[in-house]
Amino acid sequence: MYHELTVWSRGIIMDKEARDVSSCVAAAARALGYYADNVSDYVDDPDRTNCLVRRYARFGDSPIVDRFVYENPHPDWVVLVEETIIKAVNFLRGTPERAGVVVVNSVRDPHYLLKFLPDEMKAKMAKFVVVDAVGLAEQRERSPWMFVRNLSELAFDRMSTEGAEERLAIGLGIAAPLIGALTAVTGELPIDAVADQVADRDAMLRGAAKHAVVDFAAADGEPPRAADEQADEQPARADEAGRVPATPTARSTSAG
Amino acid sequence: MSVRGTRIPPHLRLPIAGVTPPPTEKEGQRLFPTGNFRFYRPVYRDKTPPCNNACPTGEQIQKYLDYVKHERYLDGYVTILEDNPMPSVTGRVCYHPCETACNRAAHDEPIGIRSVERFLGDYGLALPTNPIKETLPPLNGTTVAIVGSGPAGLACAYHLRRRGYASVIFEALEKPGGMLRAGIPAWHLPEQILDAEITKLTRLGGIEIRCGVRAGQDISWGELRSYPATFLALGQDVGRRLPVEGSEARGVIGALEFLREAGLGRPVKVGRQVLVIGGGNTASDAARSAIRLGGGEAIIASLESAGELLIVPEDLAQARNEGVAFAPNTSLVKVLSADGQVTGAVVCDARLGRDARGAVRPELVPGTEREVACDTVLIAIGQVQQLDWLPDHLSDRGVITADQHGRVEGNVFVGGDVMRGPSMVVDALGDGKRAARDIDRVLTAQALEPEPEPEVMPYEGLNAAYFRHAPRTEVPLTPAGERRRSQRVEVTLAYSREQAVAESDRCMSCGVCNGCDNCYIVCPDVSVMRDVRENGHYTIRTTYCKGCLVCVQECPTGCLEKVPEMDFDDPADVTRMETAFAPYDGAHAEQSAFTRQLIEDTIAEYDAARAAPAGNGKPAAQPNGDAG
Repeated sequence: MYHELTVWSRGIIMDKEARDVSSCVAAAARALGYYADNVSDYVDDPDRTNCLVRRYARFGDSPIVDRFVYENPHPDWVVLVEETIIKAVNFLRGTPERAGVVVVNSVRDPHYLLKFLPDEMKAKMAKFVVVDAVGLAEQRERSPWMFVRNLSELAFDRMSTEGAEERLAIGLGIAAPLIGALTAVTGELPIDAVADQVADRDAMLRGAAKHAVVDFAAADGEPPRAADEQADEQPARADEAGRVPATPTARSTSAG
Repeated sequence: MSVRGTRIPPHLRLPIAGVTPPPTEKEGQRLFPTGNFRFYRPVYRDKTPPCNNACPTGEQIQKYLDYVKHERYLDGYVTILEDNPMPSVTGRVCYHPCETACNRAAHDEPIGIRSVERFLGDYGLALPTNPIKETLPPLNGTTVAIVGSGPAGLACAYHLRRRGYASVIFEALEKPGGMLRAGIPAWHLPEQILDAEITKLTRLGGIEIRCGVRAGQDISWGELRSYPATFLALGQDVGRRLPVEGSEARGVIGALEFLREAGLGRPVKVGRQVLVIGGGNTASDAARSAIRLGGGEAIIASLESAGELLIVPEDLAQARNEGVAFAPNTSLVKVLSADGQVTGAVVCDARLGRDARGAVRPELVPGTEREVACDTVLIAIGQVQQLDWLPDHLSDRGVITADQHGRVEGNVFVGGDVMRGPSMVVDALGDGKRAARDIDRVLTAQALEPEPEPEVMPYEGLNAAYFRHAPRTEVPLTPAGERRRSQRVEVTLAYSREQAVAESDRCMSCGVCNGCDNCYIVCPDVSVMRDVRENGHYTIRTTYCKGCLVCVQECPTGCLEKVPEMDFDDPADVTRMETAFAPYDGAHAEQSAFTRQLIEDTIAEYDAARAAPAGNGKPAAQPNGDAG
């Protein structure tokens, strides 16, 4: 057993969200006795606001040998902290065919997001998961996003904390529902064990319970175009996942 | 420390910034397509300015002010003619709802739109040919009947002609123009201007005006209905009677009839002490005309209080300057006469009351009756139209009833005063324009649809910091003493060319791109592209724009908006990077191949230098420092 998690986010303003996702997953794996790594981003100019940045975690039941290759070469778990990353980058580079689990923070319909992906990216996906992390997170003032917080918080907690202590607890805000959805959909780590690592446990469990899944692996053999053609008929919001009859197969995962 | 003489190996001399084109260059933007930083995309989307929205004809005021600002008068004139056939008329007599709505009023003072319109209208009348004529389509063989050659009828004929329809206009009076001639005094709208505007229309071809044909008398309802389509725009030219004692005496005249006789150039007799009953613009026009004709004085007695008068503010001020006196909250009780000639009137205090249906019900105060000396009483208390020649179900208390599209029945439409009651010239022009469009629709079997609700730009949507305060150019007036002596001297004068340009320059172009270049200048990422410096010619380089929204914040007019990037749903529109920062393998691979080659060259050079001097015993040139 071996998994590589790459979290895509945006420099400065959403850096902590990405950091929290990879930190919690790696910490939970380590607590469960796996070998685990959690690495920051050094190449993407992470000090640039809005720039695409990555966080890496990986864990397995055998020692990780290539300690100095910190970029995940074959990520099979991918989390997008912000929905426009769907359009921005090939986040499935190196992912084996039909192995990728992609978790996106969005209020939109999964099929609306999927139509921006080329076929070769869809071919690498096993599951495409949409979770309204903003809506499920603990609401802080008007929005759980950082944009509304004060500048001193931005200065301390939004920058890359490489080599430093976290000032806020780990697993707050929109990171918690994202971790929840990822854990529930992949099923590799027990939800309770991961929830122990997350500061906002309730929001994490809300994310685990409420998300929309488009399951490519279950519907293998069907042409992925079928997913596109029904996109218009899907409800606009994905948070009512229990009633989204997505194609190939969409289902709500209840856990916890 | 000098670096002269320091030997730097070629691969370290590599000027990275030179090899990697900076993002200010096209090639650099290809290398770093930072468009995927973006959550929001700036989008140019023009809204409706409030002036344009308030104008019943929908004149594109922002557009022609922009043309005048750039001294493109012909373009400005043609822009007006798209909506309004007679800018010289409305430029003089319009009660300018546009200026009332102008966002500039919240900033300092509204733009003098009417005066600029008049400037353009007079510019157009002075042209040797009508520029609109060559844009007209050929006549399609259908002729529409129009009743009334007032502003509504003329506008309908004009817009029908622009759609290829001929029209025949039936006018009851001996000259065309309707209320423009018979209701508006010459000192407001000179006769030659009106004649010139009407001639301009009839010269387009396909518009025939038959004067002296009164609907109901000389042409029947049945004949009118026999045309493929009919537009009823006969106005309201019958003044309401005031049923008071003594009102049959000589010298009691309807103000409308008085203005009509004066407007048609017939001899009119008016005394030196004129009492005008009414509180609207007709009362004001009648009182001012009476002063000019009789050389005496005039009092406007109105039920309305001084603050309730329905006279537009500038007319009110002009009337006061000309010596018109006002007796607000006053009602006429009785006209006194001797030998059948008015000698005075009894008035009393009163208040304007209305019954449940909105009709005027004066509330008199008993015991306040007093006598006023006068030799003429002008009645200006409203107007109706004689409509008994129409089928009963089509008219109601002096107006013709119609549905929301102004459709009476079948292919018969109605507009202007006879539909809406006494209203503005520009309302009638707008009705004519809409009727022409709707007649075209019914004749081509299209459905009648209401116009879509426009999105009007509020002042708050502008970036007001960009507009310095500039006072309105006040329109010049003839001195009161001079103008009150003549029926012909125009009261309101024209802007000079310089004044018109200066006034147009005050336009804030609410919600409409006017090519100010601000987005182009403020964009920190060279992502606003410009081909021609004109409206709507900017494009956003979406592969490079990071969505910082400085342009949206700084757009003076508010025509730039932010739209969530994910709302753009065209998959072909996506610029996807291969990795986060190194955008193309290709670009970096080329660069690294080049760098590697330089390093290999350096090593080869070094090896060659070590190998060469073996024979002469001198040490080899040091690769990284001064030789020797």
